[in-house]
Amino acid sequence: MADKVKLFVNGQEVEVESGKNLIDAIGAVGIEIPHLCYHPALGADGNCRMCLVGIEDGRPPLVPACKTRAAEGMKVQLDTDKIKKIQRDIMELELINHPIDCPICDQAGECKLQDYYMKYDGQKSRMTVKPVLKAKKMDFGCGVVHDQERCVLCARCVRFTRLITKTGELGIVNRTDYARVNIFPGRPLANRYALNVVDLCPVGAMTSADFRFKQRSWFLTKSKGICRGCSKGCNIFIDHNREKYKDDVIYRFRPRLNEKVNGYFMCDAGRMTYKQENDNRLTVALLDGKETGLNEAVEALRRAVSQAKKIVCVISPNNSLEQMFAIQKFAANCNAAVSGYSDGYVIAGDGDDFLIQDDKSANRASFALLGIDASKAGFDAAVNGADLLICFQNDLSLSLTADALNALAGNCKLAYLGSNMDACAEKAAIALPVASATEDAGTLVNVDSILQQYAVAVVKNTPAFDMIHVVSQLGGEIKNCFEARAGLTAAVAALKGIDLEQVPGEGLALTVSEVPNVAA
Amino acid sequence: MSGKIKIMERKGKDLYERLYLIEVFKGMAVTFGHFLSNLLDNSKLYVRHYPEVKPEITARWRGRHRLTKYEDGTMKCVACFMCQTNCPAKCIMIEAGERVDGRTEKMPVRFDIDLLECIYCGYCVEACPMDAIRMDTGIFSVTGDERKSFVLKITDLLETPGAFTEEEYKKGGA
Amino acid sequence: MSQLDILLIVLRVAFGAFVPLCFIAVLVWMERRGAAYFQDRSGPNRANIFGFRAGGLVQNLADAVKLITKEDVVPGHITHKFYFVIAPVIVFLIALVSFAAIPFADVLILDGKEYIMQAIPTDLGILWFLAVAGFAVYGIILAGWSSHNKYGVLGGLRAAAQVISYEIPMGLAVISALIVYGTVNLTEMVQFQGQLLFGFIPMWGVVLQPLGAIIFIVAAFAETNRTPFDLAEGESELVAGFHVEYSSMKFGMFFMGEYVAMFTSSAIIVSLYFGGFQIPWLATDALVNNTRLVSFLLMLLLPVLALLFGAWMSKNNRSHYPRENDPRVREANVYAKIMWGLVIALELLLVIFLISGSGGMAARILTAGLQIVTFLVKVTFMCFVYVWVRWTLPRFRYDQLQKLGWQTLLPLSLLNIFVTSAIVVALS
Repeated sequence: MADKVKLFVNGQEVEVESGKNLIDAIGAVGIEIPHLCYHPALGADGNCRMCLVGIEDGRPPLVPACKTRAAEGMKVQLDTDKIKKIQRDIMELELINHPIDCPICDQAGECKLQDYYMKYDGQKSRMTVKPVLKAKKMDFGCGVVHDQERCVLCARCVRFTRLITKTGELGIVNRTDYARVNIFPGRPLANRYALNVVDLCPVGAMTSADFRFKQRSWFLTKSKGICRGCSKGCNIFIDHNREKYKDDVIYRFRPRLNEKVNGYFMCDAGRMTYKQENDNRLTVALLDGKETGLNEAVEALRRAVSQAKKIVCVISPNNSLEQMFAIQKFAANCNAAVSGYSDGYVIAGDGDDFLIQDDKSANRASFALLGIDASKAGFDAAVNGADLLICFQNDLSLSLTADALNALAGNCKLAYLGSNMDACAEKAAIALPVASATEDAGTLVNVDSILQQYAVAVVKNTPAFDMIHVVSQLGGEIKNCFEARAGLTAAVAALKGIDLEQVPGEGLALTVSEVPNVAA
Repeated sequence: MSGKIKIMERKGKDLYERLYLIEVFKGMAVTFGHFLSNLLDNSKLYVRHYPEVKPEITARWRGRHRLTKYEDGTMKCVACFMCQTNCPAKCIMIEAGERVDGRTEKMPVRFDIDLLECIYCGYCVEACPMDAIRMDTGIFSVTGDERKSFVLKITDLLETPGAFTEEEYKKGGA
Repeated sequence: MSQLDILLIVLRVAFGAFVPLCFIAVLVWMERRGAAYFQDRSGPNRANIFGFRAGGLVQNLADAVKLITKEDVVPGHITHKFYFVIAPVIVFLIALVSFAAIPFADVLILDGKEYIMQAIPTDLGILWFLAVAGFAVYGIILAGWSSHNKYGVLGGLRAAAQVISYEIPMGLAVISALIVYGTVNLTEMVQFQGQLLFGFIPMWGVVLQPLGAIIFIVAAFAETNRTPFDLAEGESELVAGFHVEYSSMKFGMFFMGEYVAMFTSSAIIVSLYFGGFQIPWLATDALVNNTRLVSFLLMLLLPVLALLFGAWMSKNNRSHYPRENDPRVREANVYAKIMWGLVIALELLLVIFLISGSGGMAARILTAGLQIVTFLVKVTFMCFVYVWVRWTLPRFRYDQLQKLGWQTLLPLSLLNIFVTSAIVVALS
């Protein structure tokens, strides 16, 4: 741990971490220093001047907090009249050309300019000349919409493209009143992390075309979750809202800070995975393509299980650790073979060295923990002569060709438990709806062997049962998530001594030696 | 602290009042007086003969809502959801979309007010930053024969004119 | 049995059955218009048939149509459906049956045969009323209990406790009346009240038994569950009490039962304490013997009353706002014509009596008719008192109700018995 230093803020003694700048150090103990251009991931730029503070030790009267390191015995002043006047003046300058179109701005409600105006400014504009008009609603590519009038020129977006993605599509052109963020002519944003500038932008200058006008930010419930887009397992906020007379719908995913996994960012593809949670859902049980009651369908599948001579359970690498364990137990009970065959989830060469991984499933590392065979050979051996194939959320159409899948569905009865109406569900003789990732709780192990947990975020008007519940109705011995967790700590060597009910928020790194890298 | 304590005499303790019957007859005399005078001349009743005699509506009256327009006929509403956020009855349901009439960027594609849920508090009018919603139509009685007819659509809201001139409305304290 | 016997049985039973039913409409109307006038409102005055509103009576028709056509809900949670359905029937029927023993005219002597003018010609009289009226509360308790609803049960319990508390002072008040009259037969009681005290005061029960009359009236209010004793309904705390789960005509039965009970108890109050069918200073014999004079006086009185009523109607039956060709004035004109037609018909009838002379069947029938009218006028006024009290007095608190019953009315009625007995013994 970093050393602690003691310093004084407004005469009050606080203990903060050393080596950090004042914004981060003092912010960690709950005292906010306003800032627009500084971002922990992008470093201090010092162009907005919003974080100017006074320090009583013979230095120049004002220093930018983002460029000043916390030191022992420092006397930081935030509430003197002078500092307050500086903050008010900076806000007034920022708002000179601002269009104040909060009513139509998607950032309203989570906008730093709004917050700081209410907190540090609160005065009427003294401007009598007309504001400088700039371009609005510019398409920057990658689903980023730019509004030059709202921009405060903090250059966070510019620095992001230069420092993080190293693509450098954005720049600030012109000076003074005419300075504006822009792309190079004919060279729009073209990187796989571009939508992060929407989150980075402290004001409404960068907005998402996908989220545009969908919801006001204050209506959204911000639940914690984990992205299932790839095996990185980026931490996210699930922003969802239940409108009157409607269902609980997810409107966007936003990255959530986790230094161990994804830092401050996430990829654009991961953001868009929220659409899978809303669209094309399997909401009713299907028997040979016809809608039936859930109980009848479960009963039909249970009869099929009891009559079948050879059963194969195909587990998805997107299932949570608890679900996999429950399915394993169920398979053992009814003498079924278990396969995790899911080569189709891997897109070789798609990953990069930042966040995106080749493997587009979230929990493949758990296969190794539980000893589930995911090889093609094992799958073929298991399927040979089987008369019942139960896919647990595993969309076999990704891994198998259409002909192979048809042949498989012809040879044996295909049952499917899943949340989405995918190709495998369409082929299935029995399809049972289960809760999707955001509607369920569970544990994931990511590609770096970090164990993370997520809780139920979205509750639909008519919630689907979670997978473990449905499996238990089919005859599985594990009734719920808690039983599965108790069983896991007892049965899996790598999880010995880990209390799965008490996993810390930032995740738990499993010892690498026990989890061989299984990226297929 | 010793304040001046005034002990109020409790009424109804003496025999005369505790007999109760006499007080009952006194009360009945009062009510009978009203009855008799109304029976003999029913023009004295404090009654407005409502459907025929309409009440006078002032500019401050919070009647049925309307959406206002600019002079060129485009709507003032920009779908900022302030009214919906502020509505204590949650009777306003808005869906926003891209603006198509040339002004700014955003406009409502759906703007429903469920009059069965509305409590006519006027908070939507107060919250509106664009003066786009007003309750100055002077309509105080809304009737219909099915629930659906009480959900006002954006077209209904735009079509209804205000019942007062701009000066009267402003004088009303809006 | 002669044809006359059968005709009179039919007439008396019809009177006992239909007059209370007709009075439901009148009483509901009186309650609503009365309430309105007590509160300076106008009350129901819109419902009409071809513009004829009959002073608001047509509203009752509209209400009846509404109640009949409403969905008759039997909530799913009710397990004892039979009791649930039978409860309003009990309330209504008991109220109707308890009217059967009340005389509405003096004993009619036709062809030397005596006909007791009651729906059921029984000597039980007041005992019948006490026995039957106590049953009405069973309907209320049953309704509250079978509703399977906490408000309903509370309402039923309150009604039960209330009836127990108030039947006692009521019975004791009746005992002191019995001591005075020396009979339980209601007809004889009313005949007793036809005498004159000191030669000029009608010997009505209320004169002989002032305390007993007050106790009986208060207890009767409690028995009929009317304000200020309608705690079984108690809107403010019990929603609607025992009939909270009832709808449509099942509720309508309770509603009608309440008004029939009000009518019946008014009739019993009038019979016991206000001279029943007796016209003050004009006993039956005096009437029969002076038919000529009576019909002559009536012939004079009728046009005067009609004139007054017509003046009142033309003053009040009009629209109080500018209206072209006011239909209410036209309505009043039609009523006036009908009224004068009736007056002329009655005058002709009275002329026949004048010519036919005193004595005989016609004189006795005229007397009976006059007594029936007197009885109904008195009962109507008593019902108006019910309405009047309802819109004057607020509802008692429950402890106040019990306190009044046990600590005030019970000792007072006992005292009344002793005093009455002492006086009666001393005088005889």
